[in-house]
Amino acid sequence: MDNFEKLIQEKIALEVEAKTRRHFIKQCATGIGGLALSSIFMGCDPFSSTPKQKIQFSPRDLNPLSTMAPPFSPKAKSVIYLHMAGSPSQLEMFDYKPILEKLDGQPCPDSLLRGKKFAFIKGKPKLLGPQAKFEQVGESGNWVSDNMPHFKKVVDDVAFLKAVNTDQFNHGPAQLLMHTGSPRIGRPSIGSWATYGLGSENQNLPGFVVLTSGGKAPSAGKSVWGSGFLPSVYQGVQCRSKGDPVLYIDDPKGISRNIKKSTIDAINKINKEEYTKYADPEILARINQYEMAYRMQIAVPNVMNIENEPENIKEMYGVEPGKESFANNCLLARKLVEDGVRFVQLFDWGWDSHGTGHQTALDLGFRNKCKDVDRPITALILDLKQRGLLDETLIVWGGEFGRTPMQENRGNQKMSFKGRDHHGDAFTMWMAGGGVKGGVSHGETDEIGFNGVEGRVSVHDVHATILHTLGFNHEEFTFDFQGRPFRLTDVHGHVIHEILA
Amino acid sequence: MNKKKITGVLFAIVILIGVIFVWKFFSAPDPVDFSADIKPILNESCISCHGGVAKNGGFSLLFEEEALGNTKSGSPAILPGNALGSEMIKRVHSNNPEMRMPYKKAKLSDHDIDLLTRWINEGAKWGDHWAYSLPEKVAIPEEFEISKTASEEFLQNGIDRFILEKLETEELHPNVPADKNIISRRVAFDITGLPLSDKEFNDFNAGTISYEKLVDNLLSKPSFGEKWATWWLDMARYADSKGYEKDQSRTMWQYRDWVIKAFNKDMPYDQFTIEQLAGDLLPNPTMDQMIATAFHRNTMNNDEGGTEDEEFRVASVMDRVSTTFEVWQSTTIGCVQCHSHPYDPFLQKEYYNIMAFYNNARDEDTPSESPVLKFYNEEQQVDVDKVMDWVATFGNEKTTKAYADFLRLQEPVYHAHSAINFQNGVYDNHAAFNLWDDGSCVLENVYTKNSSYIYFKYNARHNGTKVTIRENDANGEVFASFTLNRTKGTVTERFPIKNIDRKVNLYLETNNDNVKNQISVMNVYWLAFIDDLPGEDEKDHTAINATFDKLLMAPTPTLPVMSENPAYMKRTTQIFTRGNWLMKADTVEAVTPKVLNAWNEDWPKNRLGFSKWLVDKKNPLTARTLVNRIWHQIYGVGLVSTIEDIGSQSAAPSHPEMLDWLSLRFMNELNWSIKSLVKEIVLSGTYRQNSETTPKGYQVDPDNVFYARGPRQRLSAEQIRDQALAISGLLSAKMYGPSVMPPQPDGVWQTVYSGQKWVESKGEDKYRRAVYTYLKRTSPYPSFMTFDSGSREVCTIRRTVTNTPLQALITLNDPVYVEAAYHLAKTMKTGSDLDESIGKGYEKATQSIIKGETLTVLKELYQTSLAEFENNMEAARDLLHFEDVDSSAELAALTVVASAIMNLDEFLTKA
Repeated sequence: MDNFEKLIQEKIALEVEAKTRRHFIKQCATGIGGLALSSIFMGCDPFSSTPKQKIQFSPRDLNPLSTMAPPFSPKAKSVIYLHMAGSPSQLEMFDYKPILEKLDGQPCPDSLLRGKKFAFIKGKPKLLGPQAKFEQVGESGNWVSDNMPHFKKVVDDVAFLKAVNTDQFNHGPAQLLMHTGSPRIGRPSIGSWATYGLGSENQNLPGFVVLTSGGKAPSAGKSVWGSGFLPSVYQGVQCRSKGDPVLYIDDPKGISRNIKKSTIDAINKINKEEYTKYADPEILARINQYEMAYRMQIAVPNVMNIENEPENIKEMYGVEPGKESFANNCLLARKLVEDGVRFVQLFDWGWDSHGTGHQTALDLGFRNKCKDVDRPITALILDLKQRGLLDETLIVWGGEFGRTPMQENRGNQKMSFKGRDHHGDAFTMWMAGGGVKGGVSHGETDEIGFNGVEGRVSVHDVHATILHTLGFNHEEFTFDFQGRPFRLTDVHGHVIHEILA
Repeated sequence: MNKKKITGVLFAIVILIGVIFVWKFFSAPDPVDFSADIKPILNESCISCHGGVAKNGGFSLLFEEEALGNTKSGSPAILPGNALGSEMIKRVHSNNPEMRMPYKKAKLSDHDIDLLTRWINEGAKWGDHWAYSLPEKVAIPEEFEISKTASEEFLQNGIDRFILEKLETEELHPNVPADKNIISRRVAFDITGLPLSDKEFNDFNAGTISYEKLVDNLLSKPSFGEKWATWWLDMARYADSKGYEKDQSRTMWQYRDWVIKAFNKDMPYDQFTIEQLAGDLLPNPTMDQMIATAFHRNTMNNDEGGTEDEEFRVASVMDRVSTTFEVWQSTTIGCVQCHSHPYDPFLQKEYYNIMAFYNNARDEDTPSESPVLKFYNEEQQVDVDKVMDWVATFGNEKTTKAYADFLRLQEPVYHAHSAINFQNGVYDNHAAFNLWDDGSCVLENVYTKNSSYIYFKYNARHNGTKVTIRENDANGEVFASFTLNRTKGTVTERFPIKNIDRKVNLYLETNNDNVKNQISVMNVYWLAFIDDLPGEDEKDHTAINATFDKLLMAPTPTLPVMSENPAYMKRTTQIFTRGNWLMKADTVEAVTPKVLNAWNEDWPKNRLGFSKWLVDKKNPLTARTLVNRIWHQIYGVGLVSTIEDIGSQSAAPSHPEMLDWLSLRFMNELNWSIKSLVKEIVLSGTYRQNSETTPKGYQVDPDNVFYARGPRQRLSAEQIRDQALAISGLLSAKMYGPSVMPPQPDGVWQTVYSGQKWVESKGEDKYRRAVYTYLKRTSPYPSFMTFDSGSREVCTIRRTVTNTPLQALITLNDPVYVEAAYHLAKTMKTGSDLDESIGKGYEKATQSIIKGETLTVLKELYQTSLAEFENNMEAARDLLHFEDVDSSAELAALTVVASAIMNLDEFLTKA
């Protein structure tokens, strides 16, 4: 057994010992007028036959999302991860390269191309100067382009990582690596690890919520929020701002809340009888889950409803109720963490600026994408701050890789729109909030932004850092599968102490 | 017994006790056993730094040679016979934190140190792990005091003797047999995945048929294959889409049907294995044997723009290696691609030795998924037969095979992605290369088979393009020269070429002055060479050749299958440094791992030989793996609880002798018959116990690894839905065919770059068994996912069973379940009074007679609902929105009750 498992076990044992039966009931049976569980434990208490016995059921037997404290004191309680699917160009947002501007149109030096593979660039590409104006802003004097005017207001809350690198340059594998630590399918996502390790603060909502915008799901599909080999209860639950917020959350037409309550009441009463026969704690867990389902049916639509937010908040984010938008999702993310959701993952699709058309041109469609996210992201940071939540919420922003300093020349031809190809050697991410220093910029790229020259960090380093803020040592946070302990960072990863508060 | 005798017996007992005592006291303790005593300590405390990954200090404990060999210090750390002189023992005792092992960890316990010391003193004998050898015979435990521990009823077959022996050591007693209605429901789900029909239920419960007869009937039902296919398809990673970013549809269902049929035919497991892994390499493979090979074409195929086909071809090959070992050997070989196995005795090189068996499959991650098996219709088949008869008459074995392969698979071909050195042309990222005016490219190392024609699959949008094919470059000898005109879509055509019988570099050149720059004049998908059609001098030669050419363009359904490279296309396999496919090191041959069974020189060194090696009776893992997993399917726990891993790090078997006995019996006596194995397990008294227990009983054995009670598990995702449809009378019995799309909420499919939509199936296809539901890897059927089914992107050995509120939302709110509840309510309504109605529904759903308290609770629910619907008929009509419904408050209230019944733990679980 590894250390973390031991810690968990010890903790559970302590908790269970410390808690009297009354505590337990108080904690778990707050549903539907405390109907089912409390009555079950009055009649047939699984603890009563062996009062001095240690753990009979861990809280996790009954509820796999019950809260657990991490091994170290955490800086962040929850995470909001903003993923720009397709990968935005760092060279038009945060990584200012004046020399690249001067070299615009020049052929890319052979020395940089030797042994390199690109997704679409063929032959001898030409450098492309930044397609945006930059200025130094805030007290930190960090560079931000005029594609992100609102963001300039919060620049001193943000820690930039300017030299992140990944070894994947296709969307699917790179997104998987960014979210699961492996470019191949089958590993749990960061959100699943976090929910597995910490449980959820709010038992009426899923612990790990996924929100998508941009009209499409990320390339790698649902695996980027999958639970891999962890139990599926830890996978991300996709909540939708259009249609049912969670699949099947609405009662069938014609079923009133009262009938639903009576139904669950009846089911649980009969299941309680079943327990006396089989003594299988799965039955108690099921009773618990039916109560939770009932509560979720109220809590989820409530939290997913942004109509009732004050006008100034709606305006601050620029929301469009009833639609699927990144702005809506940012406001929802705030509401969700406010209500105790552990991990909120946003995916915004449409950042793959190859320059194959208007939409993917850096001086056209890309600017619209920036516009779509600039205000909501700024609002999210400010809103969390004004509520005192920023300190305990870690915000992570980035794509799955970056983009080339060269203009894409798909098919070895000059393209009429300005775009950049996939580039994993150096790109920008940023973090803000829980446990992270504001106004920092860590890492630097070379004069044209091709390679990191200082403070290079890997995707695994980013993961190690996220886990660190949540109170985990990434090397010890493991899950045994196929005969060996697995961890999010596999055999890699160093915490990026330079950006920690 | 008289007094004297008693005294005599007593005396004898006293003497005996005395002897035992003295013997125990003076005799040396049992010798230390490497596998049982030492290996667990090494794995737990040493191997992560001194194993297959890290060899700190030049010391590794993975293999005997390494453990006893010299370390970096120049001398061995273990001196057999001399523990005190051994560095290893000195280090575990050391008080210096820099020296003490395990490094920076807690000191080993005195017990462990004592074991290690004795082991070295006894000569440090290495031992094979039990998993890597299989005994020849195991005796069944015979002696029991039946009356004391279990009723006669318990001892039904050999299984029960092993189980009982263990129960006795644990001082546990088996449960009594389950009631008839309980055992019949349990066995029906375990064999067919469905509840019993009313007739089957009545026949058995009325005693008309015996339990064994019931089991036989169930085993012979077609639903047996559907149930067990679901299990196998998880491992085979079967899905209806290709995966990765684009995740386009693929036609794979013929393979799913093959699996169902194979289970129903009870195809012996050795044959089942060989046909799936190497059906294409069998002599004159049948269509079915070709279909079986789709097992390894379930690997994902990456159509994402900009991806390197070779990278994803290699990824597929590696997946095949890993999957084969996970499915047949309970071994995670995947980690060996980067370094030697961290704890099991597999070397890194051995991974690539295995990969060499799989590295010569013809598929190359092209969007067409070639090679694909073509299914000709009757009319087309007449033409195929005509061509094949001709070739058989006038040709030889070689030409017959070439024509058969090309008609079946359209392989071997040179795909567009192999073209290089483009001038005025480009490979358009997937599928085709395009050449413009004055365009050229090169295909290296092409073997033209001395044929007189080159076949092109291409399209052209302009007339009068001159194509020249030369050797090597623009100055090379001209091999062919012809003109292309505008085509109607994509065509396959042949053009004359010089006969060459060697490997050459083909330089392709296009010229068309009438077309502007950078406009494609020729898009080529592949080019190929086929032996000339024999019988040139016969009168119908031209007509037959034309028939052949026509067939190349005949539209047919297809299925991706395995096919082996011909000798001239053979790839060599190299070790990848740290698993990186771009960093190639030494070349390796196809060899099986040394620790497992020996290779038989009669076997061909290819996938066929490899599959024979897997099902050789000397292979220690194949039968154990299968027995363990079938057991797990039925009991929810494996005899080795780590069902994905049987090896040095796996859990110890709960009943090691029985695992070996059953494995040997499965191969030798049951002749690899899965049906017989299932039958053996479900006929056992162990299986037939009831699954009831008390909190105390549960606590003694929470996972039920001693089997003092019957199995009790939540039904699988598929079974939950199938059951709901079955008991409400909606389930369609239709088998096979393309996957179906039952109702799912709008907007679930949101896939990049694919216009594909979920089009709800009509008629009975809405109500087919779950195994026929369309599975899109990036977006599987949501209600199945919630009940722990997977996305089948990679091999899944175990579904973790979870218990979540989202599951409750499905069985309460998903329209599929509401409809089923309504149909159950209609049946209920035929009851003469309310009690009978509710009792009827409950009995139909759970196959148990309703108890008083349950009836009271459900009646209360009925009354509450009825009162509400009577006041609000609108709500009743909303709920019963189905076609041709005579909605009434009563029916609506019964629907609510039916829904509650279908959410009971009893309904969702097989007890």
